[in-house]
Amino acid sequence: MSLINQTSRSKASSKPSSRRAETSRVYAHPLPIIFPELTYKFLGLSLTRPLNPHCTALFDPLTRSAWVSDSGDATLLWQRGFFGKGDLSRSEPSWSARQINARKMKGKGLTSEEITAKRRAERKQFKLDRAKAIAAAAAEAETVFNEQGRVIAPGIAPDGTRIIPSAATWKPASTSVPSEQSPLDVAPDEEEKIEPIQDLEHLQLSLQEAFFLVWALDCLTILHPETNTSFTLAEIWNTFQNVYIPSSVPQPNIPSPPRFDNPFLVSYIAYHHYRSLGWVVKSGIKFCVDYLLYKRGPVFQHAEFAIVVIPVYEDPEDQANSPFKLQNAEPFTWSWLSTINRVNSQVQKTLVVSYITIPAESRVSPKVLSSPACFAHYSVREVVLRRFIPARMRD
Amino acid sequence: MDDVLERPRPQPATPTLDPAEEESSGSEDGGLDWTKLPKVGAVRPVIPKRGEKDFEPAAGGGSGLQAHVLDRARAAMFDALKADRAISSKSASYGIWCPQISRVHVTVARGIHFSAMGHSAARPTSIDNGSTKLQKRLELLPEEALYLIERGALFCWKDIQTDLTGLDDIEGAPMSVQQAFAEIIGKEDLTLEKYQVFAYLRRLGYVVTRTDPPSPSYPVPPPRVGSAPLSFYQRLSSIFSLFTASVLRFLRGSNNWWRPLGISRWIHHDKSYGKVFKSLRVIPAGHSVAPHSSRATPVAPSSPYKIFYNMYKPSTNFRKTIPPQPDFQVVVVNARTAFVPSLYELTELFNVLPEIPPPLPRKRGAPSVVQSSPVAVASPVHTSTFKHIFSWLLPSSTPQPVTSQPRPHPFAALKAGKKNIVIAAVDSGNISFFRFSQGAFEEWPTL
Repeated sequence: MSLINQTSRSKASSKPSSRRAETSRVYAHPLPIIFPELTYKFLGLSLTRPLNPHCTALFDPLTRSAWVSDSGDATLLWQRGFFGKGDLSRSEPSWSARQINARKMKGKGLTSEEITAKRRAERKQFKLDRAKAIAAAAAEAETVFNEQGRVIAPGIAPDGTRIIPSAATWKPASTSVPSEQSPLDVAPDEEEKIEPIQDLEHLQLSLQEAFFLVWALDCLTILHPETNTSFTLAEIWNTFQNVYIPSSVPQPNIPSPPRFDNPFLVSYIAYHHYRSLGWVVKSGIKFCVDYLLYKRGPVFQHAEFAIVVIPVYEDPEDQANSPFKLQNAEPFTWSWLSTINRVNSQVQKTLVVSYITIPAESRVSPKVLSSPACFAHYSVREVVLRRFIPARMRD
Repeated sequence: MDDVLERPRPQPATPTLDPAEEESSGSEDGGLDWTKLPKVGAVRPVIPKRGEKDFEPAAGGGSGLQAHVLDRARAAMFDALKADRAISSKSASYGIWCPQISRVHVTVARGIHFSAMGHSAARPTSIDNGSTKLQKRLELLPEEALYLIERGALFCWKDIQTDLTGLDDIEGAPMSVQQAFAEIIGKEDLTLEKYQVFAYLRRLGYVVTRTDPPSPSYPVPPPRVGSAPLSFYQRLSSIFSLFTASVLRFLRGSNNWWRPLGISRWIHHDKSYGKVFKSLRVIPAGHSVAPHSSRATPVAPSSPYKIFYNMYKPSTNFRKTIPPQPDFQVVVVNARTAFVPSLYELTELFNVLPEIPPPLPRKRGAPSVVQSSPVAVASPVHTSTFKHIFSWLLPSSTPQPVTSQPRPHPFAALKAGKKNIVIAAVDSGNISFFRFSQGAFEEWPTL
């Protein structure tokens, strides 16, 4: 089985516990760096060298991302720290696995995307069935009222059970996916399907992730999109910030002076802060927020916290002079806060507002912006938000 | 709603309640189902249970059945509203609203309300012989008085500064609820929003008092103990830990900002993910240091974010004369005119709030296993530093002794935060309560 798709998490034969053990084994390392088993250790000294892999990525200024095309590198970066996202997948670059699955398994071993699609189809069918049952019950009640002039409780069968299905009682009548084939039918095919599927997918790293891998972990090289030569760290530092400078600035050749409120720096501060505390940080755009925090990673459990990054200017003048219109720099209205909080409490995530202070240029010289040393002048403060329901807090 | 529909109509309201409708208990949303109310004549209105929503109007704009059910519900609503609100004369209280001092002087106090409302204040009272004397009397704050008037538990007359000699035997009428609202809202910092929050919490059984005493005679909780500045020992140890941290950082050369990852090739102790993450924590974080601001007063004096109410749970043993420390403190703002508080406003609020201990894990049959141990909540810093040093030197890899005291779950501690403030955002009568907690992610790394 593992030959086909070793990361497939829905093998029908494996028990949940063994599947969990397999997941823990595959995703054992929280970072790309690996510390091998020690061979010799004396007085706290040891000679084993930590193994730091070296991956390469291509910088893409248009999408503001870095592309890892080598599938080995992509798998490594995903499995050790959940960096990036497959450009043809929801998260893990599983496009080619999905293609192989589609050919070999005929819907037997499902990737997570396929499971979701199936679930959505079922849910739609359930809603249709329910609407039909409700309409039928209403029509029945209507007839009784017209004929006998009495009000009956619709949707109750003579034996007292409810006819209208609920999400708990409804069962798919017959699976619409033709997965009921016995595995024996598929077995003979397996030999023939040798013709390889070319992996067209790449892993797409956000610039925050890319900079973290390059600067903090030193395990990624970034190539220039045109010359294909590798960037130096200082070049990356400047390039990643320049990407965010609005294109309306007329002279692209004259570098505009670096600013503390560069969107790359602000979002990187937040990303780095939570990464350095051991969280797996992923984008939270689907939940109205900037980042989601996972304890060990998305394959283990759902994200626990949803982070809204709010930049706070120490000096309001800096905000007035800024060429960037930083998101969330203006104060929230209460209705917007309720919106975000509703969305996130619906999916069992705790909303966290993360305030990133932006050093005042009058206090800190912009010269420190020439290197990551400027990070020491920012600061991060969280405020955890929760609806307070007095009716449920009485004791 | 159509006016035609709103006009009450005589309706033979004798519907037979069928069992199915009885069983359908209400979900949180959805309107009241007035048909669940008892019939007219039933004296006391009861909060009804909610019914189920119908699916949608039948094609062609409502059927006979739907119209019938609607009519029935509407008739029930009017019946319920028709019921007289009555109060036993034995439990009615009496008072006089004194606009000059914004208090209601309670002359007859009856009922359970006064165990949590009203305070005694000494006022000059004229005695029979013409002289005045300070006398203690029971007074209500504007919100307390308005709440009791609205409930029908207090008959309140207005104190008028007119000479009434010769009219002694004329009683006059007590203030109507409308008059009370008009007179009382706006007095003693009481906005309509603040009153709405007060009344809502009172109705749920909470005891609600003012945080800032409006007069010296108003009882307030005793000042908190334990907020004393750091002891000499604590300061010494914190300086020591800062010092060791910077020395270690220097020794490992991670003050080279182009290469933050400080893993020594030789020291075995460095070779763990915990150490890697720790060496990457270079960004200042946490609420222990106030955020910089170029302005002298980052919070405008007009900011609405000031703590207004102290709130006690119904279960809290509340004594009116010696109130305990509040369970929650509440800020009330108008959701249409105020934005969500800024970091500076929140910092100012947190500055006056007490730190609460992290929540303890729930007691279950088996002790819960907590994998990651918190860093900052551990014992004094210097001992742990020594422990670190020893563990570097000793080749044995003995596991750290597990403390028997249950540790809070990191998620629970992160969600609870260190300090809490409740903010009630009121939008024309709809109250949205939010709890803002001071987060401390930097104290609970996952690795």
